[in-house]
Amino acid sequence: MDATREIYWNVGHGAALPMYLFAFLAVAVCAYGFYRRLRVYRQGTALARRDRLFERIWRGTRNLFGQLRVLRVPAPGITHAFFFWGFLTLFLGTLLVMLQVDFTEPLFDLVFLRGTFYKIFSLALDLAGLIAIGMLLGLAVRRFLYRPRGLKIIVDDYLAHLSLAAILVTGFFIEGARMAATEIQTDPALAWFSPVGLLAAQPMLGMEAAALGSLHQILWWVHFFLAMGVIGLIPFIKLRHLFTTPANSLFADLRPRGAIATLNLEDEKIERYGAEAVSDLAWKDIFDADACMACKRCQDRCPAWQTDKPLSPMRIVQQVGEIAFARAPANLIETVTTEALWDCTTCRACQEICPAEIEHVNKILEMRRSLVLMQGAFPGEEVMTAVNNLEVNSNPFGLAYARRGDWAEGLPIERLDEGGTAEVLYFAGCYASFDRRNQQVAHSFVRLCASAGVRIGFLGKDEKCCGEPLRKLGNEYLYQGKAVENIARIRAAGVQRIVTTCPHCFNTLGVDYRDLGLDLPVEHYTVFLERLLREGRLKVAPQAFACTYHDSCTLARYADILQEPRAVLKAAGGQLQEMQKSGNETFCCGGGGGRVLAEETRGRRINVTRVAMAVETGAPLLVSNCPFCLTMFEDGIKTGGHEGRLQVRDLAEILVERIQPE
Amino acid sequence: MKILVCIKQVPDMESRFKVNRDGTWIEEQDLAFRMNEYDEFAVEQAVQTKEQLGTDVDVTVLSLGPGRVTEALKKALAMGCDRAVHIQDEASAQKEPWQIAGLIAAYARGQAYDLVFTGLQSQDRGSAQVGVLLAELLGMVCVTTVIDFALKGTSVSVSRELEGGLKAAVQFDLPAVVTCQLGLNTPRYPTLPNIMKARQKELLVVPAADLLLEQALTATEKMYPPARKEGGLVLEGEIDDLADRLLAVLKEKTTVLRQG
Repeated sequence: MDATREIYWNVGHGAALPMYLFAFLAVAVCAYGFYRRLRVYRQGTALARRDRLFERIWRGTRNLFGQLRVLRVPAPGITHAFFFWGFLTLFLGTLLVMLQVDFTEPLFDLVFLRGTFYKIFSLALDLAGLIAIGMLLGLAVRRFLYRPRGLKIIVDDYLAHLSLAAILVTGFFIEGARMAATEIQTDPALAWFSPVGLLAAQPMLGMEAAALGSLHQILWWVHFFLAMGVIGLIPFIKLRHLFTTPANSLFADLRPRGAIATLNLEDEKIERYGAEAVSDLAWKDIFDADACMACKRCQDRCPAWQTDKPLSPMRIVQQVGEIAFARAPANLIETVTTEALWDCTTCRACQEICPAEIEHVNKILEMRRSLVLMQGAFPGEEVMTAVNNLEVNSNPFGLAYARRGDWAEGLPIERLDEGGTAEVLYFAGCYASFDRRNQQVAHSFVRLCASAGVRIGFLGKDEKCCGEPLRKLGNEYLYQGKAVENIARIRAAGVQRIVTTCPHCFNTLGVDYRDLGLDLPVEHYTVFLERLLREGRLKVAPQAFACTYHDSCTLARYADILQEPRAVLKAAGGQLQEMQKSGNETFCCGGGGGRVLAEETRGRRINVTRVAMAVETGAPLLVSNCPFCLTMFEDGIKTGGHEGRLQVRDLAEILVERIQPE
Repeated sequence: MKILVCIKQVPDMESRFKVNRDGTWIEEQDLAFRMNEYDEFAVEQAVQTKEQLGTDVDVTVLSLGPGRVTEALKKALAMGCDRAVHIQDEASAQKEPWQIAGLIAAYARGQAYDLVFTGLQSQDRGSAQVGVLLAELLGMVCVTTVIDFALKGTSVSVSRELEGGLKAAVQFDLPAVVTCQLGLNTPRYPTLPNIMKARQKELLVVPAADLLLEQALTATEKMYPPARKEGGLVLEGEIDDLADRLLAVLKEKTTVLRQG
């Protein structure tokens, strides 16, 4: 006997008309629900996110069908992914049935759900349904019973879990009823290809044929209306993420990571900067809120939230949505609160992990821009002092700009401000130039370059703060002033490429300055030195030492530089004990986002928290690659009471001690 | 009401100073300049007064010096002053307080200012005389070292900071010159729209040569850094340890602990 089943068995082909009618209605309701939301998104300002369309579609498709971003957090990620794949299989199966019974069969007399293919089809769908039920159960247990901290339960969650579960379960009972009446009687061997259906059929086996028929019909329609109901419901509850989250991936920011919109400060007609209201944000910022399912992965990783500060990146995204959808829009900054805005270290942990590719950080920066540029506000007086220092002396310490080059006295480095020439510019940055602890890093780097025979130069007193803390604090005006001056000096110096010891300078010169016209290659010294080691130009004699390594946020999450610093460590003889939070999941030192200039007045100290993580590894040495991290950890070791147990040093300081004499 | 704010652009105090060739003032090369800190309080107070009284107030900010002082004037405009006057004088550093007050008075006379704000003193020269002499020359009341300012009608009540933590409450009527002391207010950070607007505001340049120059009453004879004294000793470390080390130093290097 040919393995197949009769489609519309027991309900009859007459069901097709009402079925398609209601299906059309459900899709219409769904479409209308989304259409109404368009208006809300349109409150935001214009933003072009339809460039590089094929790349976008490819990314979006991979993320959706591969569940790549959800899978980054294994337990709930795998559960969600398998539920998705299970349900997707069922959906595709249903489409195949529709294709055959209402299109290929009546039109071309083509029946493909038969024979071996039907057996595979039947088995695959049964297993997919089983997996979907199992995973849904797992997700429900996690959300409603286990209740992870920070995961909120709202009505939508009950609705989504219950309706999806009901669709799946009724589906199997329909199958069971049909099988009880048909193939279990006529072709028991075939029934084994629908194992779950076979199980569901068991209680119905002894039933009267007529009762079984009625039961099947009732179940069929219940299943059908449930499915249509859910389709209509999608835009109105959290299930909207079926569309909004993949769409968000499609509209993702494809610029280099950490890119910030460069404001036009020449246009004197512009009288409003940054975002004070939701309507000052881009449409995508509002759309982000619709793609957010409050999975709280961002919040779990936010250094501010984890140290009891009022900032939750998730809440900010949700607040944007709440205000955008409210009848009477509230003031965005007042709702979010200035405290939360100033607490952000722009470490990008939120954005890196977000399964929906929501852009948290730039929202915060836009609001900070409003605070600084429109109100002249700062997180504290100490920050205002530092900013004034930056304005006058181009360094946050307020030290004489004319002394900026003093650190290099007697070192083998060309002073490009005094007529020297070099192919490689070492952009030292404020900390390496003025901060005594960080000057040691600059010294080490210069000596390493000399040992490798690389001639480098620096701008001396012509170098200014790269402007990173200013920009991250929202002071775009002063940032651009510093950037333009630096770019002019760098161009005049006639260098071919730039290397920095500070990841913040690295990212600002390499990414932010592109918008202002600098297009020289910029490298962080860890990458630069790793290459010199690999090429054999820099020779070091390894000496074994135990350490742990802190990935600075800017290297790890802005630039994906994870391997090079570790390779350098290894070449120096380092035996690395990784902290629990390392690599892309690194935990901020607390100094990013301009916070290095600010007092930490709320919650526990981020630097002390991170130092404790380093202490936990048991390693006596914490290796950093960033002047802010080094400064924060020196302080964190003291205030955390870990002196004598843990020491912090920069990678360059370790390497320079191992230079092989020629 | 017409308000005048007199500001000075001074070198940043963290700069590396060098005495100039003729030994009467400092070398300007490699210095970073900013608005005199006390004058920022003066600008802020003028702008706050304008905000308190409404649009009927016109605030002029005035500075004397070479071309670079326009930067300080622009900042004052961005903070909220309405117009700026730049008394252009390449040799302002060589002038003494009486002459500077004289040049300002020569411009201000006839402008009918009701209220003049200046800083208590400049951070570089620190004579604290220009404001007072200006009041004298303009025949106005003068109140110095003001740390609290309240205007009601034409009557002003201020608090003055005196020596030894004492304060004085003073009341007077306009017109008057007020010199501002640290603690009076927190100068605002200019907003970007105001920085933009400041570019459009009037900046009147008056060559100092066009104004009557008073005879100098004092002259700088010599400018020099203080002579180096014996090197001090800075002890660092834990408190307990510090006390012991201090005791040791006192015993070894001084006679204070010796008996008899």
